[in-house]
Amino acid sequence: MATRLEAPAVASSRWVLRPSARKLADKASRMAVDRAGIEVSDIDLLVNTGLYHDRNLGEPAMAALIQQDVGIRPEDPQAGGHGAFSFDIANGSCGVLSALQVADGFLSSGAIDHALVVAGDADPGHRMAPHFPYSADAAAVVCSRDDGRAGRVGVAGFRWHSAPEDGDLLLARVGFERRRNLLRIEEDPEFGSRAARWAAKTAGSLLADHDVKAADLDLVVANPISDEFLETLSEQLGVGEEQMVRVEGAQTVHTAALLVALAAADGQGRLSEVRRVLLVSAGAGIVVGTALLTR
Amino acid sequence: MPRGWLMMEQSPGGERAPHVARVESIGRKLPETRLTTDELMASTRHRTHIDLERLTGIHERRVSKGEEDSLSLAAGAASDCLRRSRHSAADIEVLVSCSITKYRDGLTQWFEPTTSLAVAERIGASNAITFDISNACAGMLTGVFVVGDRIRRGEISCGMVVSGEYISQLGRNAAKHVRNVLSAELASLTLGDAGAAVLLERAPEGAAGISVAGFTTVSEHSRLCLAYPARHDQGARMFTKSRAIQRFAIADTPILLQEALDAAGLSLTDIDKVIPHQTSARAIRKGMKDICGILGGEPKNPAVVTVDHYGNTASTSHFVALVEELEAGNLEPGARVALVALASGIEIGVVLFTVDDELVSLYGNAA
Repeated sequence: MATRLEAPAVASSRWVLRPSARKLADKASRMAVDRAGIEVSDIDLLVNTGLYHDRNLGEPAMAALIQQDVGIRPEDPQAGGHGAFSFDIANGSCGVLSALQVADGFLSSGAIDHALVVAGDADPGHRMAPHFPYSADAAAVVCSRDDGRAGRVGVAGFRWHSAPEDGDLLLARVGFERRRNLLRIEEDPEFGSRAARWAAKTAGSLLADHDVKAADLDLVVANPISDEFLETLSEQLGVGEEQMVRVEGAQTVHTAALLVALAAADGQGRLSEVRRVLLVSAGAGIVVGTALLTR
Repeated sequence: MPRGWLMMEQSPGGERAPHVARVESIGRKLPETRLTTDELMASTRHRTHIDLERLTGIHERRVSKGEEDSLSLAAGAASDCLRRSRHSAADIEVLVSCSITKYRDGLTQWFEPTTSLAVAERIGASNAITFDISNACAGMLTGVFVVGDRIRRGEISCGMVVSGEYISQLGRNAAKHVRNVLSAELASLTLGDAGAAVLLERAPEGAAGISVAGFTTVSEHSRLCLAYPARHDQGARMFTKSRAIQRFAIADTPILLQEALDAAGLSLTDIDKVIPHQTSARAIRKGMKDICGILGGEPKNPAVVTVDHYGNTASTSHFVALVEELEAGNLEPGARVALVALASGIEIGVVLFTVDDELVSLYGNAA
């Protein structure tokens, strides 16, 4: 029984001076639950994969705060009742795929019926992150056990690769300088092209696992890290421009980027008649995650 | 399967999850330096008049003086775990790092790349899929839940959960600010540094292994403990309403522990050892007394307490204590152990597993 991805939702902040990653994640979560046609109380598991949030909170998991804000069974346990569990996964821009794989596992084992995966980042504020490079965006998606209802693609498999030899191409660290703890994010100009090469190789292995040819893919939804990343990926994977999803202005979205691209494809109606969709993301490490969705 | 309050997995789990995960090996890494509570309290900026040792039962904790950080503690524990294990690093299919602190090169907190990838690289686990989990002091047990799920379903046969907590610096920061026993940073003075790692594998047919793992987040209380990078000090600061957390934990844990025990077909009296999260010796003993009173029974032994000499080592505390029990020969084959997570969030979790001959023999205590 496959895990079905419901319609993703995106919450962005372009105009607010001090955006809150948590509040954006709250908003995206509520919208995603609404789009899935369920109640917030139907969510059994919430996984947050956003990294840069208000004051760079280290404890508790941001997911617990989102769970409380959204009202996903926040109350003390009661006999005969049903609770929810939440935690954070950190894996850079691949965190969403890690969370989808975790959710897929618990859905497959029957431990849960619905999981909510949310990601979002914003400047942590308090002048903690000079030159913070990422836009204030969050996105969320509900994962459900496929009950045979037609209409949406489901998870067929994942493939991962890590290339620690390229580990210094993207670094994000909080260090003590000038008597303050400051977040510094450094990305080498080579990151996009190197990541694309690893991504294409990993995606090729995933397709081979499932005996699918690149030409048979209806859609490639990739993290829009940069135009160079998407172009190199498409070229090395051997897919045409019409198979790729492009999202204007999404290059500065960080952990939510893959879901933003998926939401764009959904919004354009491109997920409605597809049979094979490839999800691709790459992040610091370099870590590459890929997933095949089929119907 | 009827749903209870906990998000739970039982093993074996039928066609969907036919396998059982077992604890194959556990490792830990402790800094050499011991910092007594007297020494720590003597370093406070203000005259606090707090008898912290009497309040918490913590006599000392291990602290890094800069020679260890989160990564080195995690990697050291992972190496210790592999040294005892039948497996090599190349066998690890999934490696999850679950620490709250992610310090490398001193007190530089690394957000990207992940700590798990760095640990995998250091120990040579080049085939492992890596990611980090963050779930406060419930991190490692959450990792066991996640990796255990993959083993149960047959997706992998070997995975490692690791954590390195270089967290004593919160105590150093708190020492500058704590004025009296009501301080929100009092709990920071209980922290100690440690690394821990656990290797999980698919159990042979018929083995008991991990029978139940169940978790919940009582997020109504999610803001009772918050930690951030410090503004003008190196490292971080943590603000905790300890008494409120303890009150809710004692109120909420019995029903959840009973649910996990029911799922395993056990009662509290069947449990040989309860290893709770190590916050303070006094809180553990009082909490267990209250829980036993509510559930109407006691485990076969008093709750395991290591916080008196290691302090609260955050996400590593259960496995630091488990190694202690195994090395001391306090766990015999067949012993049923309940690992009980209690963490900011509020996260409450229970992992029930049976110690087997092979695990006991790794610590020089063959049956």
